[in-house]
Amino acid sequence: MDKLPTSKLSRGKVVGKALLKIGAKKSKRYLTNGDKKETHEEIADIIFDALGELKGVSVKIAQQVALGMPFLSPVYLEKIGRSFNAIPSINKALIRKIIKTELGVYPQDAFEHFSMEAFAAASLGQVHKATKNHTPLAVKVQYPGIKKSIESDMSLIHFGLKRFAKGQNVDHIISEIEERLYEEIDYTLEAENCDFFRKNLNNERIIIPEVFHTLSTEKVLTTSLLVGLDFEAYLASNPAQTSKNAYAQLIFDSFFDSLYNLKRIHADPNPGNFLFMDDAKLGLIDFGCIKRVEGVFLKQYLNLHISLLEGENDTQSVEQYFELGMIEEDTKENMLYFYQEVIKPLDTLYKEPLVHDHYDFKANSDFSKRGFKMIFEVQQKQFHSVHKLNEQFLFLNRTLLGYYALFEKMEATIDTRKVKALMREYQ
Amino acid sequence: MKITQSAKEKTKVKILQAAVDLIIEKGFEHASLREMAKNAGVSNPTIYNYFPSKEKLLYGYIEQKHKEAMAILQKIEDFHTYTLREQLQTLIETELELYLEDREFIIQIADMVFHSHGIKIGKLYETNTLFIETVEEMLNISIEAEEIAEPPFKEHLPSLFWDYYVMVIAYWVKDDSEMFENTTQFIDHSLGLMEAVLHSDILNKASELGMFFFKTHMLSSLQKFSTQKQTLKKMKRKLGDVLHG
Repeated sequence: MDKLPTSKLSRGKVVGKALLKIGAKKSKRYLTNGDKKETHEEIADIIFDALGELKGVSVKIAQQVALGMPFLSPVYLEKIGRSFNAIPSINKALIRKIIKTELGVYPQDAFEHFSMEAFAAASLGQVHKATKNHTPLAVKVQYPGIKKSIESDMSLIHFGLKRFAKGQNVDHIISEIEERLYEEIDYTLEAENCDFFRKNLNNERIIIPEVFHTLSTEKVLTTSLLVGLDFEAYLASNPAQTSKNAYAQLIFDSFFDSLYNLKRIHADPNPGNFLFMDDAKLGLIDFGCIKRVEGVFLKQYLNLHISLLEGENDTQSVEQYFELGMIEEDTKENMLYFYQEVIKPLDTLYKEPLVHDHYDFKANSDFSKRGFKMIFEVQQKQFHSVHKLNEQFLFLNRTLLGYYALFEKMEATIDTRKVKALMREYQ
Repeated sequence: MKITQSAKEKTKVKILQAAVDLIIEKGFEHASLREMAKNAGVSNPTIYNYFPSKEKLLYGYIEQKHKEAMAILQKIEDFHTYTLREQLQTLIETELELYLEDREFIIQIADMVFHSHGIKIGKLYETNTLFIETVEEMLNISIEAEEIAEPPFKEHLPSLFWDYYVMVIAYWVKDDSEMFENTTQFIDHSLGLMEAVLHSDILNKASELGMFFFKTHMLSSLQKFSTQKQTLKKMKRKLGDVLHG
C-alpha cells in the first residue's frame, strides 16, 4: 500500500515540492522565452501531480479544483480517477467506535448483521454491508477528523494556487470548493439530496437508494444496497452497442431532466457514482455533490443554448452572455472581441453534440480531449480572468463535459431530440 | 441473611454512581462519604464497608470501569478475528466511552493526578490488574496465532501499555475537538505506531504520529503566535538577548 501522507507537514512538503517545480518552470520560460502555453500546461500537470500525491481529502479537493478551475490540463481526469480509492482505511476498532458515537449503539446492536470489512471506498470514508429487517444495506462511514483536514489542506492549497494562478482572483473559487467539500462531508445533506432525487426523478430505469434516517447521521449514512457492475466492470463485460447507447442516453436525458425539471443536478460525473444493474437499470449512488441551479440563471442558460443551436448571430450572443454576467460591460467592440476569442470557442464545443439529432462518440473519440484543450487555450488568453465566468455555468458545463468523457469511453451514440424538445418546452 | 455477590455488586455500582455525581457537583475535596452514602440510599457503615476512604472509592471506580469494559469486549462475537492492534484499540476506546458520561469527574481526577498531585500516580497502578491481565492475554493469543513474533521484554509490554493508556486519558481530558476526534485520531495513529513496532515498520508510522501532533497542535500554536504580535516581539527580544549576549 502506498504511504498516505497524513499530516500537514508532509502535505506541505508535497505542495512545496510542486511549488519548487513550478518555480523552475517559470524561470525556464523567462530564460528561454519559450512557448508560454506549454509551460502553463506543464504547471497544471505539476499542481495535479502534487494534489494526486496528497490523496484522501485532497483527492476530493483535487476533484473540486478540477471542476471549478478550467485552466487545468486534460490529464487530470485520469489521474484523479486512479487515486480516488486511496483514502485512509478505518479498522474494526474504529468502525465500532464511530458507529457507537454516531448511532449510540455498537454495530452488532444497530444492525442484524454488520460486515466489519469494507466493500467499497467512498468519499472520505468507506462503505460496509449490513442487514436490518432482512433488508441489505450499505453503510457509509466517515473517517474521524476529516473536517479539520479540509481546513488545513485548503489553506495550503489556497496559498499554492493564489501564487500560481497568474494573478487571477481565485478566492471565490476556493471558497466555492470549500463549501462543496463541507457539504460533501455532511452526510445529512447527502441523505436529503438522495431523498429528493428518489422522490422527484421520475424514471423507472434509474434506481436511487432509500435512506434509512434512523441509522444515519452527519458521519454515517445508511441506505438500501444496490447491486450492479461499476463502470469499469460494465465495460469489461463487453456489453452490446445497444446497451451502451441506452445507458448513455439514460444518463444524458436524466441530466437535462433534473436540470430543467428539478433545478438540481448531480454535479459529480465520477464513473464510480453509477451502477450498471440488471434489466438495463442504472443505479445512482453518492449524492454528496449536488448543485442547485437558480431559476433566473436557468432561463438565461436555456435561451442561450437554444439560440446557439438555432445559429444566432454573435451580437445577440454577446447580449445574452452579458446578462449571464459572463461578459463585463465594455465597448461594443471589446465585448464582441471577448466573446469571439473566449466564449465562442467554448460554445462551439458545448453545442457540438447537440446540433444534430444524433451524436456518435465513437466517431468523435477525441471530443473530450479537444474540449479540455480548448478550455485550456481559452484560459491562456491573458485578458480573460476567472471571475468573469459564471460559476453555475461553469459547473453545468464541466459536469456535462464529464459525462461526455464517459460516453466517449463507452463509445456510445446519443439521440439529442428528446433533450431538445425538453428545452423548447421550458423556453 | 447472606448478601449475594450480585446484590453486592449492585450496591457497589450504586455507591460509585452517587459518588461520581456528588464529586462532579461539589468537587473531590468537598464531597463527603457521608453524603455519598445518603445519595446512594445506603447507611454510613455500609459505604465504609465498601470503600474505607474516598481514594479507595476512586480506585474502585477505575476497577469497575475495567470490569464493564471487559464485559462489553466479551460480547463482541467476532472479537477473535480482530488483529492485536484492533483489540487493544477497542479496549481503549471502550474504556473512554464508559468514561464519557463521567467526563467532569475524570477531569477532576486527572487534575489531581497530573497537576496538584493530590493522588500519587503510582497508586493508580494498584487498580490495573484486570487491565494488564487482559492485555497480556491479547498479546499471548496474538503470539500464539503467529500474528506477531514474540517481542523482546514481552513481560513488560502490558504495563507499558497501561502507561500509554494513562497518557491517552491525559490527552483526552485536554481534548477540545468535536466529539473528541483528536483523541480518536491520536489513538489510531499511536496504535498504528505500536503495531508497526511489533511488525517492525517503525519509521513510517513514527512520522505519521509525529505529523499528527505537528498538524493538530504545533501548527495551531504557531498560528496563535503569529496573531499575537506582542508575544512574538517578546520572543524575538529574548532570542536577541540570547544571540547577542
